[in-house]
Amino acid sequence: MSTDDSFAAAYREHYWAVSRFVARRLDAGEAHEVEEVVADVFSIAWRRRSELPEVPLPWLYAVARNCLANTVRGLGRRRRLLHRIGLNESAHGNQVVDSPDTERPGSWVHEALARLSPADQEALRLTTWEELGVDELAVALECSPGAAAMRLHRARRRLRAEIDRMQMNVRAGRAGAESRD
Amino acid sequence: MYERDERELRAVTDHLDDRRDAPGPDDARTPDLDPTHDLDLTPDLDLLRAANPVSATAGPWRDRPLNAVAERGLNQLLHRTRARRARRRVVLWAEAAAVAFAAVLALTVPDLAAAPATAAVPGALHPRDGATLTLDRLADRAEAAARAGGPRLRKGSHVQTWSLAMDEGPDAKRPVTLPEEREVRWHPDGSRTERVEADGKLLGERVFPPSWSDAPPRSRPPGTAAALRDYLTEVHDPGFPRRTTPASTQEILDALPSLLDAWTLGARESAALARLLADSGGLRPAGTVTDRLGRSGQAYVHDSRDEHLRYMLILDPDSGEPLGLEALFTKDQPRFAVEAGDVMSYSAWRR
Repeated sequence: MSTDDSFAAAYREHYWAVSRFVARRLDAGEAHEVEEVVADVFSIAWRRRSELPEVPLPWLYAVARNCLANTVRGLGRRRRLLHRIGLNESAHGNQVVDSPDTERPGSWVHEALARLSPADQEALRLTTWEELGVDELAVALECSPGAAAMRLHRARRRLRAEIDRMQMNVRAGRAGAESRD
Repeated sequence: MYERDERELRAVTDHLDDRRDAPGPDDARTPDLDPTHDLDLTPDLDLLRAANPVSATAGPWRDRPLNAVAERGLNQLLHRTRARRARRRVVLWAEAAAVAFAAVLALTVPDLAAAPATAAVPGALHPRDGATLTLDRLADRAEAAARAGGPRLRKGSHVQTWSLAMDEGPDAKRPVTLPEEREVRWHPDGSRTERVEADGKLLGERVFPPSWSDAPPRSRPPGTAAALRDYLTEVHDPGFPRRTTPASTQEILDALPSLLDAWTLGARESAALARLLADSGGLRPAGTVTDRLGRSGQAYVHDSRDEHLRYMLILDPDSGEPLGLEALFTKDQPRFAVEAGDVMSYSAWRR
């Protein structure tokens, strides 16, 4: 199979997985934006298709990761994306989450995730949402498997710490509400 | 509302508390070195998995055969690159060996409906000898001109392009020429209209919605040489910001049409480009030339030996404004009736 054929096969097989990768990192519902980024991702992947590995998906995620980081420049879009992926100031602040969003079950998990560094978040997202093993995570993060394992391990510890902290805040918030009643 | 959240949190943290009390899998191993430790999905990761915002089995991004948008994207990649590769590596294409295309060539436009026409292969431009202007000197002039005022950067472009192209495969069509007049106009709402004409005939007009991307070349080009080099490096290698080496002269020339097809440079940007090219080296002055649109410019050439191509950049001698970029063969390709000196492609940008 020629390189072009391999690329076409990878495109057909992974188009939707790459779309999900992008959609998870952009605001949901912006379908045309997702399509545009995915087109960019595959355009870059096409130019680099000589590097296409046998298992292409983690590599495509690496391209997509770089593409997202590099193309999101507009302030409004940047803010929106950064909010989503937890790079903005408020996400790094130590504000108390005193009103968890009940309309979106699991949103507090996102909150906990958003409090982590971008690198920690990405290791966790790739592992859980893209369901990558450590070897694949290494490809997606463009590092060695050892480094990927270390990043994931650290990210999990920090996530656990954030969950602990949020639990304390929620308890404190509830105690405050009760004392006011 | 807190109760439910607290229950959820407690369920997690109780488990985590347990894990802290007794050595868990992470404690028992050396996870930094153990590539399998993450396969043990403990609740923190399970919770994240459950909070996955985009499903693979439902919703707009679920797994399924490609839709029309995706199919079109794939076809464009395959088609465009094949056409470009054909243009750049004419020598490698064996199928057209018997083709005699000296006199009349069929004209088609790949991205639009086929528009048969005839067109002659344009002759090469021949710079006249005489007082040659070094790029360094031209950059000096352009900087002085920019300080004195001059036109401002404008989004949108008006370009005349032509390129020799060939199809591939046993049913390869004849080599074609693509003389196009392409104009891009931007609207206040961020949308743009692209209008393409050939031989004075409208081939197509499309309105594109506002672009999501604002990376180069969609973003505003900078007005200093160093920043413009970074910008063009990014045009050449989008998505790979960790690239440490700046774009080479060859890469700048490759990226330049992308910039100039999106923007009409102002005096400041033209001066920055001239300075950037002067600093990059690799372009030598070839004399004065009259370009495809009848304008007088200074020609600078760069040889790409592995491609057997010569690039000729035409700049306005006073403002440094890029007028045109041409690629010529530097080696005979007899099987394709291409000779050294024949034009492979050109772009001529108007204000």
